[in-house]
Amino acid sequence: MREVAVVSVGYTRVSEHWEKSIKALFVEAALKALENADLSAKSLDGIYVANVFAGCLQGQTNLANVLADSLGLYDKFAISIDAGGASGALAIHEAYKDVAHGVRDLVMVCGVEKMSEASPQEIVSALTSVVDQEHLKYTGITVHSLAALIYKTYLKRFNKKQEDVALMSVIDHEHAATCHHAQYPFKLSLETIMSSAILADPIRVLEAISPSDGSAAIIMCLHEKAKELGLPHVKLVTSQIARDRLNLTERDDLLSMKALVEAAQRAYSSAGIRPSDLSFVELYDDYSIMGVIALEKLGLCGPGEGVELLKSGEVKLSGSIPVNTFGGLKARGAPLGAIGVYQAIEAFLQLTGNAGPNQVKNARIGLTHTSCGFNSIVVINLFEVCC
Amino acid sequence: MATSAYWRTRIQRYRLMGNKCSSCNKVFFPPRLVCPHCGSVKLDECKLPEKGRLVDYTVVYSAPKGYETVIPYVIGLVELENGVKVVAPITDVDVDEVKEGMEVELTIRKLPEQLEGGMICYTYKFRPVIK
Repeated sequence: MREVAVVSVGYTRVSEHWEKSIKALFVEAALKALENADLSAKSLDGIYVANVFAGCLQGQTNLANVLADSLGLYDKFAISIDAGGASGALAIHEAYKDVAHGVRDLVMVCGVEKMSEASPQEIVSALTSVVDQEHLKYTGITVHSLAALIYKTYLKRFNKKQEDVALMSVIDHEHAATCHHAQYPFKLSLETIMSSAILADPIRVLEAISPSDGSAAIIMCLHEKAKELGLPHVKLVTSQIARDRLNLTERDDLLSMKALVEAAQRAYSSAGIRPSDLSFVELYDDYSIMGVIALEKLGLCGPGEGVELLKSGEVKLSGSIPVNTFGGLKARGAPLGAIGVYQAIEAFLQLTGNAGPNQVKNARIGLTHTSCGFNSIVVINLFEVCC
Repeated sequence: MATSAYWRTRIQRYRLMGNKCSSCNKVFFPPRLVCPHCGSVKLDECKLPEKGRLVDYTVVYSAPKGYETVIPYVIGLVELENGVKVVAPITDVDVDEVKEGMEVELTIRKLPEQLEGGMICYTYKFRPVIK
């Protein structure tokens, strides 16, 4: 397999971009990534577009074709990838395979999402649409309610308090406070989070993602090519994907998260590293509880010890294993299909020493974890600094 | 969802019909076309037990389209008498009186959401067993 590098990134702030269309958001991020590498769109061999909701919220399908056209790429490969919250990372996974196997040499991966053009009810329906609709449509079951069942199971099994789990959101906001591209760049106290409205008991609004617009693009190529270009770059060491049953009721245990464990183990094994070798982690915390569970399943601590790790402060920027260094899904924001690409950009910024006030010292290896449907699809990407 | 799609899933929705695999004898819900355990396509429709135990539940305050008028409502994880688990709305009980471990039974209830043209929708729900 050929070695793969990320050579450039471009992104919009995560926000509610009322004045910008999905096309405008995409073009903005894509052009920035090209400009930062001093490349023209014509030099790309293809684009991978990650998106989840354009079909249901904008009524726009065939998105990769539409966006490639809007960038002036009329004759190049373009593919749309939809795997819920894992879309962005899965698009990177596909691009990684193509570059590694010699199918294409220079490609762009772009995640784009525009969720602000929907009512809160439409957003709940859209988010819930990633689980089996033939089964769940017309029951009133929401994605929040399924997450709540996982949350309650965790609190009971490990005898933990919600206040401890909600620390995940406090830390996200602490990191986002100095992040220019964050949707919510300010600190939030535990008291504010715990007194916010309830989505589905016990989940509070401020423990969950909000509707976001945003677009994130990265340019990937052969490692050799990256060196030729003379650009700061990072290596994508490995990209692993694993799947689990989508219906929570069909899993042996609500807290097992088999796909997350499997993808992480394969990533560590493929790269020949241990969790303790990681310099930082960007994990998928669509709900605070899912972030805490991810800390454990990624092997950063033992079962039931996620909240202790949060309390220890080791997951902060100055700690031994900084987590969600720009605010994670909660505070940087979660434009669903773009999440995995934003995470890759954050890894790029850290590993090239361009993370500004959020810089993790001596960052060498970064892990990104992206998930769809309560870890029914998991993509783990490992990025490494280039000497 | 189109009227035909709603109609097509009426059996599972009204009667809590699952499948039994004629190769490995596993029973599961929701219904499938291929056995998730052994891969067999020889599946029989199977009426699931109508009674079970409420393993856990949540009270929903942020509703999808069509359900805004009925919040708060309860969604429960029910373990049926044969061990099959179902996530379903819990009805006929005050939100404050729902308890983990409570015995529940199947009932069919109207949903707040209607199909285009006003067709009324129903689904399975569970209610506390009255002793």
